[in-house]
Amino acid sequence: MGKDILFKAFRNEKTERTPWVPFVGCHGGKLIDVPSDQYLRSSALMVRGLSEAIHRYKPDGIPVTFDLQIEAEALGCILKWSETSPPAVISHPLAEGVSIKDLQIPVLSAGRIGVAMQTAQQLKEKHPDIALYGLVTGPFTLGLHLLGTDIFYKMMEQPEEIHELMEFTSAVCLQMIDYYVDHGCDMIALVDPMTSQIDQESFRQFVSGYVTPVFDHIRGKNRFSSFFVCGQAQQNIEAMCQCRPDNISIDENIPLDYVKEQAGKYHISYGGNLKLTMVLLYGTREAVMKEALECMDMGNNQGFVLSPGCDLPMDTPFENLEAIAELVHDTYQQDVIRTMELEKEGVEILNMRDYGKAEKVIVDIITLDSESCAPCQYMVEAVKRVAPQFEGIVEWREHPIKKIEGISFMSSLMVKNIPTICIDGKITFVSKIPPKNQLIEAIQKRINEKLKLKIKLKRGEFLIFGKDDAECRTVSLQVKKAMEEMGKEFNISHSTDQQMISSYGITQTPAVILTEHKLKSEGEIPAVIVIKEWIKEI
Amino acid sequence: MDDILNKIAYCVEFGKINLQSPYPPDMKGLPGADELTQEALDKGIDADDILQKALVVGMEKVGIKFRENKIFVPQVLMSAKAMNMAIRHLKPYFLSGNIKRKGTVVIGTVAGDLHDIGKNLVAMMFEGNGWEVIDLGTDVSAQKFVEELKNHPGSHVGLSALLTTTMVNMEQIVREVKNVAPDSRVLIGGAPVNEEFKTKIGADFYSPDPQGAVEFLNSVASR
Repeated sequence: MGKDILFKAFRNEKTERTPWVPFVGCHGGKLIDVPSDQYLRSSALMVRGLSEAIHRYKPDGIPVTFDLQIEAEALGCILKWSETSPPAVISHPLAEGVSIKDLQIPVLSAGRIGVAMQTAQQLKEKHPDIALYGLVTGPFTLGLHLLGTDIFYKMMEQPEEIHELMEFTSAVCLQMIDYYVDHGCDMIALVDPMTSQIDQESFRQFVSGYVTPVFDHIRGKNRFSSFFVCGQAQQNIEAMCQCRPDNISIDENIPLDYVKEQAGKYHISYGGNLKLTMVLLYGTREAVMKEALECMDMGNNQGFVLSPGCDLPMDTPFENLEAIAELVHDTYQQDVIRTMELEKEGVEILNMRDYGKAEKVIVDIITLDSESCAPCQYMVEAVKRVAPQFEGIVEWREHPIKKIEGISFMSSLMVKNIPTICIDGKITFVSKIPPKNQLIEAIQKRINEKLKLKIKLKRGEFLIFGKDDAECRTVSLQVKKAMEEMGKEFNISHSTDQQMISSYGITQTPAVILTEHKLKSEGEIPAVIVIKEWIKEI
Repeated sequence: MDDILNKIAYCVEFGKINLQSPYPPDMKGLPGADELTQEALDKGIDADDILQKALVVGMEKVGIKFRENKIFVPQVLMSAKAMNMAIRHLKPYFLSGNIKRKGTVVIGTVAGDLHDIGKNLVAMMFEGNGWEVIDLGTDVSAQKFVEELKNHPGSHVGLSALLTTTMVNMEQIVREVKNVAPDSRVLIGGAPVNEEFKTKIGADFYSPDPQGAVEFLNSVASR
């Protein structure tokens, strides 16, 4: 549980389940309804936001903050604040006349460094079981903040200046690491997204030599390390692994299987790469679960950490992240999604509009498979126990979605969760096994509804057979009188057709047949499964 | 003539700016795009030929190599710097109308977004391909795009966003641009956006790399 499982993953060991680390940055503000520009400047708010994230998303680890501008701000870069995202650096001191020799390694009180450290310390006290990540801006990204895009030109034209810059920014990293470690962080992530913009040769020339000692330093502090990159950085993954971090974390721009292979070569763990926008921010709960499961299956509980590709967009829907938490902690939910994905092709969506118009009340239980899934088994048993009390009026059936028919049935009734009880095609109990009295009540309610409907929909017809004589006319008058007295109005037809008379097995006339008509479907083609239910009534 | 144009194209492709430039190391001490363009003009080579047969050719190679992940931002920026050096010599010919542009693109990062590396790369590629670029810079509102379109009728629009929080502002810009200039093509790009998002907001084109955007606009211009 919690940080222990994460430590195991970072040691590249087998884990009992997938560890989960949501990168909650300014999204923490959303959780407590505070704009980003206030949230990221207050340790009290960040502790509140992150505590809420821990409560809702049940993570094994969480970053103290996700703000790659902290060091830059402490070093004199001007920030532009936003209510909905982290701040952006808008001035680059080294491009504006400041010399690198004038820059000092930031002290604890510089900028918002103290805010981050107080947050770490308080979170550590409140949530000792959760692994705290201290996020340190990588030396190349910090260099870009300080120098602006000139960094790219100077790499080519004045490389010695960039080496001097990297020397300084990596020294800042070492200091930040010490601050985070001293304030209780268990893991240190070096986040260097701008390295995605350079080629492997430049990475080896300008980055490798500076970050490798940083990872050694983290190891020396007896903490775990991760190297985060976002963007299309595939060209540098192997070089990143060679810098000796304990873990590599990437976003959706790089295929997870590629990183798995590279990390595997160097016996280090890896993590990622839930799609930030189209899935986490804009996707449905189902799409999120499917995506998470794909990552988890790739990770296969071996040195893998499930996390978003990068800082979560502030407006990421809470329920999408809760869905991941649910999936991570619930192996049977994983089985459900996995099974549904496998079976999805070939699923036929049945027309169920008229489902539930049969004489009996039909209770359908949609399960993974009651033989192998405990909650499903209990749900089926609950129904099984109650059904006999209704003396044949209630019929129940299990639809395991391990069979294609089960998926088809589930999709047709628009059932989203497993197990679910539907009464006459209507979703009635979702996931939770209903107490006996509630189940009885729900079935009884449906029986009552059906009774009312039955009375409403029933129509009859009298067929009078025989010659067109006084006897038959009298029969007709008697029927009319009876209907009048009862306040009913049925059709009366008279037939003299001998062939028809014999088809009913009538040997003597006058004869009367009362037929009963029931409206079973209207304006559409009923499914065979539905028609079969009607036939069973006769 | 072709020889010197090829040389200029080569300088653009490999980012050789001028004689003093130490990059690329294997061209140290050789003339760059700066000197060679001046030399070409001095020899009486048509400015339009220099643009079309040297700069466009060189930048196209850069665009393709960037798309194929054979080169990265630093190399592209060096190429763009070399190209700008050449264009500086051609400026009088643009002004006099001796060089005809393919059209105009109004470009900027969307409201709230200050990250302009990607936008700058695309602007440079457009320029190097014979398009006039009106670069509105960063954090550009829908209103500003619309105003600029009124000043440059018939131009197209390029929008860039790096943040998931600002990409949503693209939708409003697309809507307002289409309102005033339904024939303008709106191109979008940036790390968080994709084809699906383009369709969602009603933009005309998405490209994960600058070269795709250049090719799209070229195809529009040739219709």
